[in-house]
Amino acid sequence: MSSDLLSIGASGTRAARIALDVTAQNIANAATEGYVRRSTRLEEVSSAGGFNTIGDVSLSGVRLDRVVRNADLFRQSEVRRTGADSGRAAAELNGLQNAEAAIEQSGLFDAMVRFEGALQQLVGDPTSNALRANVIEEARTMAGTFNIASAALGSVGTGLRFEAADGVSQVNTLAQELARVNLRLARAADSTSDQTSLLDQRDSLMQQMSGYVDVSATINADATVEVRLGGAAGQLLVSGGSAQPLGMTTASDGTISFDVGGVGVAPAGGALAGKAQALVKLVDINVTLEQIAGAMMAAVNTAQAGGVSLGGTAGQPLFAGSSAATIALALTDPAGIATAPAGSGPGSRNAGNLDALRAALAAADPAGAMDALLFDVSSTVAGRQVTANALNTIADTARVNLAAQAGVDLDQEAVNLVRYQQAFQASGRVMQVAQDTFNTLLGIK
Amino acid sequence: MTTVSTSTSAFYDRSMIDLSGLRAQAEELQSSLSSGQRLARSSDDPVGASRLRQLQRADALSTVDIANAQRASSDLQLVDGALGSFADYVTRVKELAIQAANGTLTAAQRAGIGGEIAAMRLNVIQLANARDSAGDALFGGQAAGVAYTIDAAGAAQYVGTATASELPLGEGQNVTRSLTGPEFLQFAVNGTSTDLMAAMKALADGLQAGGPGAQQAARDGMAAMDLGLDAITTAQTVVGTRMAWIDVTTERRTNLSELRAAEEADVGGTDIAATVARLQQTMTVLEASQASFSKLASLSLFELIR
Repeated sequence: MSSDLLSIGASGTRAARIALDVTAQNIANAATEGYVRRSTRLEEVSSAGGFNTIGDVSLSGVRLDRVVRNADLFRQSEVRRTGADSGRAAAELNGLQNAEAAIEQSGLFDAMVRFEGALQQLVGDPTSNALRANVIEEARTMAGTFNIASAALGSVGTGLRFEAADGVSQVNTLAQELARVNLRLARAADSTSDQTSLLDQRDSLMQQMSGYVDVSATINADATVEVRLGGAAGQLLVSGGSAQPLGMTTASDGTISFDVGGVGVAPAGGALAGKAQALVKLVDINVTLEQIAGAMMAAVNTAQAGGVSLGGTAGQPLFAGSSAATIALALTDPAGIATAPAGSGPGSRNAGNLDALRAALAAADPAGAMDALLFDVSSTVAGRQVTANALNTIADTARVNLAAQAGVDLDQEAVNLVRYQQAFQASGRVMQVAQDTFNTLLGIK
Repeated sequence: MTTVSTSTSAFYDRSMIDLSGLRAQAEELQSSLSSGQRLARSSDDPVGASRLRQLQRADALSTVDIANAQRASSDLQLVDGALGSFADYVTRVKELAIQAANGTLTAAQRAGIGGEIAAMRLNVIQLANARDSAGDALFGGQAAGVAYTIDAAGAAQYVGTATASELPLGEGQNVTRSLTGPEFLQFAVNGTSTDLMAAMKALADGLQAGGPGAQQAARDGMAAMDLGLDAITTAQTVVGTRMAWIDVTTERRTNLSELRAAEEADVGGTDIAATVARLQQTMTVLEASQASFSKLASLSLFELIR
């Protein structure tokens, strides 16, 4: 008989104390982001009978086996995957919404319609200076709104690239942090509270990283993690204690591409992928805007050249510049609008060339093309909105699912608090009994 | 969200997602109510927004069409008035020619009548050089200056262009805003083309010249004035038809603009009743969610364990 009632009681109070500590830690971290609920696993301490003591009762109390971290690897990887998808969709949607606002709120379509209307009004009295001045002012407004739209699209692109560059440096910081956590994990002893908090950090870092790029993680036996960017066959970003740098390259058209340690990668998820996609669409929008501006300028300037001004001189170009960003009004004198056909004298009321100008403008149809561009952008945004909402719901569900499993339930902790308090009190009672028993033996007279 | 969970943070997360979703929905409905617009941006309904843009473009251009139609209408009214004056002059000249054709008149009396006709001819030339609403020659087509000039021989020469300008009335319809001088002042006497001013000059000159030819000149003048009046009344009919055409297109434009306004309201306007009902529904659900959230959140075991 090698049991010791006092030490059994003491081990019980120790185990209950640890369990109470863990419970208190859980309660304290109930609202901590990335904290995974801990629970204690206790183990009985007893020894089997040895030589000559077969059948002997040998009880030594209880000890803490390990602090269990209730993390579900599958749910965690789901949160990363859906978070990357949702991050990509949200970033792309945000970029496209900004682009939509840039061209819609510039008022370009309205300015085009007003220019068209001013020309139509000029037909009523081609020699009227008031109506001519009106055309000039509407043309100036239109040129200005082209500049505004182009500049706004440019700043949307700049903003996206700036955010992408920030995202890249965030990913690099997170990757280095993760590499450090890997090193410490390799050194930390199993089941210590040090290791569990490192694991929390590891998972939280990976989750943050998945908001920027889609990562696939392989967890090794020593709890360190190997992170690849862009799917399971992607480029190695973090391995052991080393992190490869993620780089970003901006092409001449403003689109961006990424590389890990010099090897090109194409992230399929995360905010960086979304921004890259939005920038590609932005290039399309810019090209179309340039086409509209070019067609409008060519139609108006060619028609101008085919007529004569109010003064009887050959028509001069109405617009100068080579792109939507640089288009400007070249003709500021209202008399310069070439309403009369070539060969007419000064002050001619013949609106032949004005009709030709309007016909050329109607054929080029910049307002129609602008409407088509707005429709293209807005329907893209509407479509992406649906996708983003769906992916966001999926990501929310995954997050809540993980929180449901890994998060702290205060009610349960309250129960544990009571349970381990009782266990502590009971173990204390055991020690009391041990003392009483001992006293009984001592008291034998 | 159908997950059943026991984790406190999951409960708060879920509640937050649900409540903020409901709140966003309510705010969207509220902004649609207060702006009266169903679409805050094109992407809310790309097809509807594109249709709205086309309708607004048609509206803007229709406003210009209205201005042009009014301009054409006022020019044609000026033409109509001038034609009436022309007819009055022609009638008066014809009366004078009838008087002059009377054999009892003396040569001096005929010369006097000739003088009156010569003076009236100058008035007619003035009238033919009348100005339109923009200050240009009403009957000069698209010419920059006057419609008629008087040459060295005292004859009126038409210096305007061959046709008057057209004004667009929208939807591809046009109207000629005026008449050119020759269109109503020119007519043929016995197969020879002449115009009113030339006929009046011949009459006045013949009467003033006196002699045996004066009575014949008066009779020729009567015939010429009949033809001239014919040409003017024909022109009045043309002008009347054009004004009626403007009225027709104006009415059509008004109808179309009403249709457009109705469609704009359909596509882009807020359906107040439906939106208020949906807002009320959302608010009810939101209130219920908030109430149940606060009840559940206050339900803690720690309160009960003493």
